[in-house]
Amino acid sequence: MVSSYSIGGQNVVDQFASVLKRRQVVGARLTALQTVHVLRQVISLSEFSTIEEAVEILKIVGQQLQQVQPKGRIEHTVGNVVLKIIHVLKEEHLSNSTSRPSQSFSLANFVLMGQPRRQHRTVIKILGPSSKSEDNQITEHNGFGGFLKPVIIDAIQDVQYELEAVYENVAKNARDHIHSDEIILTIGASRTVETFLKSAGHHRKFTVIVSETSPSNSGHSMARSLSSAGISTFLVPDSSIYAMMSRVNKVVLGAHAILANGGFFATSGSTLVAMAARAHSTPVVVCAGQFKFTPKWTIYRNHGTLDFGDPSQVLGFQEKKFNDNVDIVNPTFDYVGPELVDAFITNDGDHPPSSVYRLIKESYGDMEL
Amino acid sequence: MPIAAILALTELIAHSTAGTMFELVSALNSGAELLKQHTSNPISLSAGCDLFVAFVTTFAHESKSFFDLKRELVRQGQLYVKEASTSRSKIASLLLDFIPDDSVILTHSHSRVVTHALLHAHKQGNKRFSVYVTEARPLGLGLKTYQILIDAGIPCTVILDSAVAYAIGKVDLVLVGSEAVVESGGLVNAVGSYQMALIAKAANVPFYALAESYKFYRMFPLSQYDLPTHNDEILSLPTSLSSIRKPAMMSENPQLTMSDDQVNKNPGVDYTKPDLITLVFSDIGILTPDGVSLYLVGMFAG
Repeated sequence: MVSSYSIGGQNVVDQFASVLKRRQVVGARLTALQTVHVLRQVISLSEFSTIEEAVEILKIVGQQLQQVQPKGRIEHTVGNVVLKIIHVLKEEHLSNSTSRPSQSFSLANFVLMGQPRRQHRTVIKILGPSSKSEDNQITEHNGFGGFLKPVIIDAIQDVQYELEAVYENVAKNARDHIHSDEIILTIGASRTVETFLKSAGHHRKFTVIVSETSPSNSGHSMARSLSSAGISTFLVPDSSIYAMMSRVNKVVLGAHAILANGGFFATSGSTLVAMAARAHSTPVVVCAGQFKFTPKWTIYRNHGTLDFGDPSQVLGFQEKKFNDNVDIVNPTFDYVGPELVDAFITNDGDHPPSSVYRLIKESYGDMEL
Repeated sequence: MPIAAILALTELIAHSTAGTMFELVSALNSGAELLKQHTSNPISLSAGCDLFVAFVTTFAHESKSFFDLKRELVRQGQLYVKEASTSRSKIASLLLDFIPDDSVILTHSHSRVVTHALLHAHKQGNKRFSVYVTEARPLGLGLKTYQILIDAGIPCTVILDSAVAYAIGKVDLVLVGSEAVVESGGLVNAVGSYQMALIAKAANVPFYALAESYKFYRMFPLSQYDLPTHNDEILSLPTSLSSIRKPAMMSENPQLTMSDDQVNKNPGVDYTKPDLITLVFSDIGILTPDGVSLYLVGMFAG
């Protein structure tokens, strides 16, 4: 079978790539939604005749978008979304090139059977004849992939709906996590945490201590938003986190990206909060959508992933006598290790850090871009 | 060892005159028993045997006759053995990201998976690192690792088994191979591994276990003395001292190396508890120790 496909919508991809390069889109969820939008355009403008070719196209576009981003500060959600869509396509339509050899069951596969999967592939393989005819059906309509496009766009649409509903789904069981008269501590201005706390605020009366989160002072907007929703809020400087921790019942943090080992990147200051909580045996939970799960294990070793931001936020350029003698560092993110977290509250259930790699395997398969 | 067992059992099927699945499985089981009796360390052997027997019993096939089925099983067994060598390469590539440049690695005794991974990181991964390897008495297999690494150009030093705690301050990560990874997520490996894991935990150094998937074994030891390799001889104290007591006058040149009898009172393998292991690297992926039992249940009970 001659596989010839063409990738359409290259200008859309290029436009998005330059937006990413110039960091004009900020925020994990926004980036994810834009990526979905771009991929949808690409698929509707491309030509292909099988699911495999569509997967190839998505993979190529995904790699392009990832490579164009500056090395230290990669928006992981771009890659995550691509992997998710590819995995959904593979799972739903069982890429036939690898699953049709005469031996459908081997000792090597037997070991892999222990792997957690949403569907049991081996069962479908045993029903050999029926799945084969299904494959034939899909490949018969070749040419412009007319039969396939709605199917793929459906899969992309599903991912989009999931992304759009992230805040509501994370906040669904908020009232079960927060009890009346509790004192919660948070840092930064994560929209997910904000929605979570507001949702709990509808059912319970509790207090939130928000840490200022200097130098960006994102804590200010969080405090304002929470208090306008009627939640009793305290705004404190970062230096008093440890001092207040003995009165805190729970810590709720947001995350920028969650690694396969269960550690995560979050706004600068989160490691301080998590360590102070550990010292007081206070539970730490992280509210994040599952689109933030990335299959990487060790990128935290690379110092650059902390994304060093504008130093003038810390010490303005007017302070002339300091400029030559002082090296000002303003990291945007902190890496928090898995041993400091008790649970991740996601749009698809609550999970301990030790299960994250398994969830990643279920969502993305074994693929990497 | 597990691969040799699978090969042996494959041969058994090839020569078997069994006419039903029941006969075949009983023949395989008695074959496995025979193998286990003839080795002092049956753990990794049992892992391979159990995996193969479980595979045979759940093999879904399209064979028209039992003879065809046997032929297919033999083919599968031989295929697996041929592909088994790739599992070490898979583990080596998974491990690559976890070896930081300019790091100091500590390893124990001799493990083909570990040496393969280190050589891979050195050659293909272009990583610079140095290795401490323990002597691993009484067999002294650490010297084997030392020679292999030195020949490849990796700086390596042999340390005494008792110097692990002394050395841990200079170490960035610990890598060990395995005889078997058990259901609890713990590790069975050459004696000294448990010690190394305890010291690594105390010093906050990551402890990585490398194990191919055919080494996953369905056993749940609650202590060292639950291992099948443990017997009354090991760590036994003398009952009557008169037979070994020597008159003080005679000990002019005391023997400062252990006699064979004394060596035999020591274990060959030990069990490392799962909470001391950071991650298990296998050809089926990177797992946390509790993730191992998921696979075992899936393989043997699913």
